[in-house]
Amino acid sequence: MYIGLDVGGTFTDAVLLEKGQVSAWTKVPTRRELLTSLLEAFDNIMAGVGAEMVDRVVLSTTMITNLIAEKKYDPVGLVLIPGPGLDHDCYKYSAETHILDGAIDYRGREIAPLDHRQVEEALARINSMKLKKVAVVGKFSSRNNKHEMEVFEKIRRDSPDWHVEVGHKVAGQLNYPRRIMSTLLTCATREKYQYFTRSVLSALESRGINCPVYILKADGGTMPLETSLATPVETIFSGPAASILGVQALIPPGETAVVVDIGGTTSDLALILSGQPLLSSKGACIDGQMTHVRALAVKSVPIGGDSVVERVGKEIVILTERIGPPYCMGGPMPTPTDALKVLRLTRLGDSRKAWEAMQMLGNPLGIEAWEVAARITMLVTGMITCEINNMFRNWEQEPAYRVWEVLQKRKIRPNTVVGVGGAASGFLTQIAAALDCYPVIPPYARVANAIGAAVARPTLQVSLRADTEQGIYSIQEEGCQGAIKDRHFSEEKAMDLATEWLWRRAEKYGLKDGLGEVEVIRKEVYNMVRDWVTSGRLIDVAVQTRRGILHYIGTGVATSEK
Amino acid sequence: MKNKKTGVIFFPAFDWAISPTHPEREERLLYTRDQIFEEGLLDMTEIEEFPPKLATIHDIARIHFCIPRVQSQVTEAHMIAAGAALSLGDSIIRGEIKNGFALVRPPGHHAMRVVHGNRGFCNINNEAVLVEYLRRRYGIKRVAVVDSDVHHGDGTQEIFYHDPDVLFISLHQDGRTIFPGTGFTHELGGPGAYARTINIPLPPGMTDRTFHYVADNLVLPILKDFKPDFIINSAGQDNHYTDPLGNMKFTARGYAEFTRKLNPHMAVLEGGYAIETALPYINMSILMALAGISYKNVREPDLNSANLNETPEKFAQVQKMVEDLLNIWERRDKADIEKIFGSGKYYQRKKHIYYDTDYIEEEQFEKVRFCGSCPGYIVIESTANKGYGDPASVLCISIPIDACQNCQGEAYMWYEQGMRDNKQYNFVKLQDKSTDTCLSYDRNNRQEWKSEGPGPEV
Repeated sequence: MYIGLDVGGTFTDAVLLEKGQVSAWTKVPTRRELLTSLLEAFDNIMAGVGAEMVDRVVLSTTMITNLIAEKKYDPVGLVLIPGPGLDHDCYKYSAETHILDGAIDYRGREIAPLDHRQVEEALARINSMKLKKVAVVGKFSSRNNKHEMEVFEKIRRDSPDWHVEVGHKVAGQLNYPRRIMSTLLTCATREKYQYFTRSVLSALESRGINCPVYILKADGGTMPLETSLATPVETIFSGPAASILGVQALIPPGETAVVVDIGGTTSDLALILSGQPLLSSKGACIDGQMTHVRALAVKSVPIGGDSVVERVGKEIVILTERIGPPYCMGGPMPTPTDALKVLRLTRLGDSRKAWEAMQMLGNPLGIEAWEVAARITMLVTGMITCEINNMFRNWEQEPAYRVWEVLQKRKIRPNTVVGVGGAASGFLTQIAAALDCYPVIPPYARVANAIGAAVARPTLQVSLRADTEQGIYSIQEEGCQGAIKDRHFSEEKAMDLATEWLWRRAEKYGLKDGLGEVEVIRKEVYNMVRDWVTSGRLIDVAVQTRRGILHYIGTGVATSEK
Repeated sequence: MKNKKTGVIFFPAFDWAISPTHPEREERLLYTRDQIFEEGLLDMTEIEEFPPKLATIHDIARIHFCIPRVQSQVTEAHMIAAGAALSLGDSIIRGEIKNGFALVRPPGHHAMRVVHGNRGFCNINNEAVLVEYLRRRYGIKRVAVVDSDVHHGDGTQEIFYHDPDVLFISLHQDGRTIFPGTGFTHELGGPGAYARTINIPLPPGMTDRTFHYVADNLVLPILKDFKPDFIINSAGQDNHYTDPLGNMKFTARGYAEFTRKLNPHMAVLEGGYAIETALPYINMSILMALAGISYKNVREPDLNSANLNETPEKFAQVQKMVEDLLNIWERRDKADIEKIFGSGKYYQRKKHIYYDTDYIEEEQFEKVRFCGSCPGYIVIESTANKGYGDPASVLCISIPIDACQNCQGEAYMWYEQGMRDNKQYNFVKLQDKSTDTCLSYDRNNRQEWKSEGPGPEV
């Protein structure tokens, strides 16, 4: 049996899955004392089920997202080694920032050494500000971590009680500003995240559940809760990822669908293309800044069931803010939910009050209440369908760097629109009609997020880059660098090495039953020709475990792989 | 204009090469990608990245006579590189972006009007395809192409040699010392487009100082006079001090400042084969200069300005040349055209063109109709010797976009006569830019093809 648990800002949802069927589910308010909510949720779904029956627990949470949004994280000292390139004035972060001399180039060659006097001065200054958390990030550090490690070692020697994060360990992909942001947030949220994991573990312990515990990442893959302590930012946006996986589990395999999650103040939109949730081509954007966190593509539109509706001159407009609950539920202002109530598209609220709200807007314009309601729903539908079309367009507009990629660009459109979340049902039919799709509200749509968590499986990638001229290789995801001693290092050997690392990662991520099918994402070899002679090769390969979920709910069968 | 972004299409063609060890191979833009990605430039609010699109066969046929057909001369990679320039052009004309950088390969500035094969690593002239597209689709009138590649942009020059509305300026290493061996100061354009071609051959070993002297004292004043509606920079990067094919001493900073001064609507990557020591830095700084991002911290790791010197004698030589060219430019309307080009119904010249990549020898006989009311149509007889088989003989007729009715009529007569005269030519081709129609006749198969472009955008 699998438990899926989604800890949101307002509600904590839980489901118990047995052989692909939902055998129990619950929705309880998220309280300040997290442990109480967790225990309540467990007790609701575990009634009559022995703790030993549970094979695994997977969590998703908006906890880190909220921490960052509310800027409740700890202050961090930032040590940057950017070298030549972008002007150093561009590196502005809400942290005590020190920029050091020293530079590495794109092939990992040292252009300029680190200045040790500068290192000392920077650390002394950080110390004088009583900071004990430091993020050290160098440009091209994933190609050569020498400078980051020199600073790291120095801190370890002089101030062993400090918490240090180094860029190449946190994010190995190219893009220095995103690496800085990822490293900074990892450093800043780690301690607060430990509080969350401790609450979860003690809740489980007190109920005698001692199976493996995983947490969902933003890309829809799981990782052991233990492992996640090192990279808490990976769990940012695990909430939306859980909803999308939930929908994936609740609709037939292979479907192309739009997921519409309409909440109180925002609507989250996502795409499932031929059965696979679309990954964002750029890393997750947090607090207006890009990071290296691999995430499912989610578009948040600032409009929801509780958004304020106002009359401006002769127009009726929807504002992006929420002042309180809908008028029909005792709130101060008319909202889209009131419109739905008038059109009898929702069960929530008091019908008389909803009519009153529409009349407030319509009377000065001489429009009847039901017509005001129709206009409001049209506005909401229009905004959401416009964003959905944009998402498809953006997906088609993604850059391509190879001839075959340009030639295989496709244009596909969804056939279903799937609604989850509170206010979705009322708008869904019209959104679907505007997109020429079928509207679907799956069973258990209210707890789709917890179901998504329950069916998620690990997604693991390994990207290996080997430079045979210099005799070095690096593994992007592990921040590790090694030497190539084999003089005949080839593409095949690179593939073997990458797969070997994928095994190691699988072990670390609790994938004990083997890797399953290994997919090759990229396999490229560049001959390095210097003075008309091949001097070496750059080999770039990437492998991953197959993406997917454990169960499609209702079909009763597990997917072929575990 | 202020808040608009710089558009960039990055198409490194990581799966296309002329041959595995050729300079024009997969690896060429690999380090440029690494540098631009690591700097995070594409995330910046000043820059927006667009995906490449394919140009159409007709877009190519509008400018090139490909022998025997467009499909036999281009690969998909060429269609994508040219398509990238067109797609950025669309966004610029529509006002969606302020300027653009087509950071693409394969390059194009050595490709001439008639294409029998690859020369100077080029098959299709990306800039020329763009110019004709902009004129046809958006009614753009005057265009300037400024070529800052170390090699003379002979293809672009040849295509627009008789076109008074396209100003072509090329600064490059002296043709006596480098491929393609042309681009001297006396090459000034045909009788109908005198001084619309300006060549500045620089002695080997010149530095940024000369680069900017020429820009400030010749290129910018001429552009100010010409008042183009659209400026294109053929941004070759082989003037760099580390380039293996060129012998100049320009730096990434020099290129960035040149880009800032020129302020082109679009930069299109051309040559540049110092793929590690120059390209990552120059491409980055051109992109930054276009986007208005400070490039003062960009520098090559091995840069030692003390080693980059030029001799005062050579500099004086350049000063003299700049002065002479400026004189020619300023007196262009007073020049005695008849004295320079002769008189009669046609201006004609013989050309010998060598395709260094494909080892083809082409002989051309070019005629331009002297016409008082339009730039006149062009007739080219071309024979290409590939060293095997019978040489292919072609008749090509090109009608300019603003041709008079008389010229249009005469040109069609040339085409029909060429078809009838079936012993002489294997292929007869016609471009009618005034109606955007391309015709092509294959003698051996007795087959004619016709393509028409979409109507202009209103």
